[in-house]
Amino acid sequence: MRRHLGSLPIQVLAYFTLLELMLVAAILYWPNFRDNIDSLRALSGPIPALQDMLTQLEETGVVGYITGQHFFKGCNTLGCAAAVLFAVGAVAGEVHRGTLEIWLARPISRGRLLTERWVAGALALGLPIFASTATIPLLADRVDEVVDLAPMFLCAVHEWIFLLAIYSLSFLLSAVGSHPTKIALLVLFLSTFEFAIYMVKVWTQSSLFRLADIQDFVDIESARRLDWAILAPLLACIAVLYAAALFAFRRRVP
Amino acid sequence: MAAFRASDASRAPGTAGAAGTIVVRGLTRRFGPTVAVRPLAFELGPGGVTGLLGPNGSGKSTLLRMLLGLVPPDAGTASVDGVPLRGDGTAVRRRCPYLPGEVAVYGEMSGRAHLAWFLRGRERESRASAIGIATELGLPLERRVRGYSHGMKRLLLLAAALAPRARVRVLDEPTEGLDPSRRGQILGLLAREAKNGTTILLSSHHLGEVERVCDRVLFLRRGELLDEEQSRRLRRRAGRVVRVAWADPIDPAAAAGSLATRGAEDVRIEGGRATFVLPAGDPRRALAEILSARDLPAPTSLVYGEFSLHELYRALYGEEGV
Repeated sequence: MRRHLGSLPIQVLAYFTLLELMLVAAILYWPNFRDNIDSLRALSGPIPALQDMLTQLEETGVVGYITGQHFFKGCNTLGCAAAVLFAVGAVAGEVHRGTLEIWLARPISRGRLLTERWVAGALALGLPIFASTATIPLLADRVDEVVDLAPMFLCAVHEWIFLLAIYSLSFLLSAVGSHPTKIALLVLFLSTFEFAIYMVKVWTQSSLFRLADIQDFVDIESARRLDWAILAPLLACIAVLYAAALFAFRRRVP
Repeated sequence: MAAFRASDASRAPGTAGAAGTIVVRGLTRRFGPTVAVRPLAFELGPGGVTGLLGPNGSGKSTLLRMLLGLVPPDAGTASVDGVPLRGDGTAVRRRCPYLPGEVAVYGEMSGRAHLAWFLRGRERESRASAIGIATELGLPLERRVRGYSHGMKRLLLLAAALAPRARVRVLDEPTEGLDPSRRGQILGLLAREAKNGTTILLSSHHLGEVERVCDRVLFLRRGELLDEEQSRRLRRRAGRVVRVAWADPIDPAAAAGSLATRGAEDVRIEGGRATFVLPAGDPRRALAEILSARDLPAPTSLVYGEFSLHELYRALYGEEGV
């Protein structure tokens, strides 16, 4: 466990720093954005999905803007990459470097080995999201806006669970595969494809990112509660993916 | 290396083997269409060193990994130190330290940290014991493992496998990649362990060391264990192996024919050297006839009756795996 955590703190710190930098830039840009939204809408003419997004932001104000910038844009993009990065090395990384046998040879059950890695990666994925979210009220204050922290944390929980599904898929592929780079490229390709679909207006509803977009976050913020209609299936999906990874790992041969 | 305490002899009820034994009943493993290990059955211990011999791909490592639960068997049962092999074998690995055949380590860790990592899940004293063994073997424990040579990495793995108190140890090629002096040191350690009552099952390609340290040898070929009687016959046969060298290269076909007419079996001729097996009935007479044969030149050297696992290996497998 400690060995696996070796480089994780540095990765988590880098992930948090990038998220925070994006968040700071986005919030400090808010007054400019608010004042020029009509010009931006004119510019986004060729992309109807983007125009809809701008309309949505105009209607929801600073909360819609911040959730869009932080969760939909920042966490979805960086978080996807982090989810893949934290998951692919779990088992496939050991196979790739030839250390699977020594990892398994200790008197520790496979269930425990896998669970420790899953939990470590899941926490590494969530921690920067929660930490950066905690700074939102302070940053909003800098542009004379008031944002309540509690609903922002609910949005962070929603985003974390959404990313955990991508993490769990990558984790399963790592448990059955042997090439971490190939697995990472595959999942990143799928994520990019899903994000691209989201930007095509007629296909938006078919994209996975519909489960963690501005509308969802604005709804959570206004209702001040989690959307279990989305989260329950996501949690079920995570459980199934983890069980499948454990099943595959128990049959894995060095 | 600390010996196992008698108070540790608690056993789960209904287990197949006694403390300090390895009992295998019908273990089988396939990899796709290939049968890596055919149904095997044997009992080892308590005490003693058993060598597992076989050419590459004969199923040695698969068998050892099955015993430790690292490779799930398709059929059969096993127990190690009285603990039946179940699930992923955690209970067996807790009682039986294992040295993997592959030398792979986490290069970013120091030797000391790596030993602690290896010994996670074992009693705390084993760390001190491992550090003691590693120091005795001359390993620079504060250095990162990526700077270690192949042999040093093997020694680090060995220190971790020899440190925990245990009645049974399974070692996959424990001296592979070591220089002769280190090899001798390790064999000495294993012999001392066995003398104290530990059961050691090791696989090796170093036939000389198997001869030196093992009091029992198991032969595997294509996943099949040769039975003890066949093994004894082969040992006896190995005692009739003759190696002859002549000063000049000879005509292989003519020499083979000449040797065969005088009862020699399994004749192999390379340049000016021949290896063959004398007939079982009257080997001395056959040897005398061969030496006095007029159609063969007078030999410059002759080795006869020297027990050699190497020759046994050749008799078993031909050139394969030697």
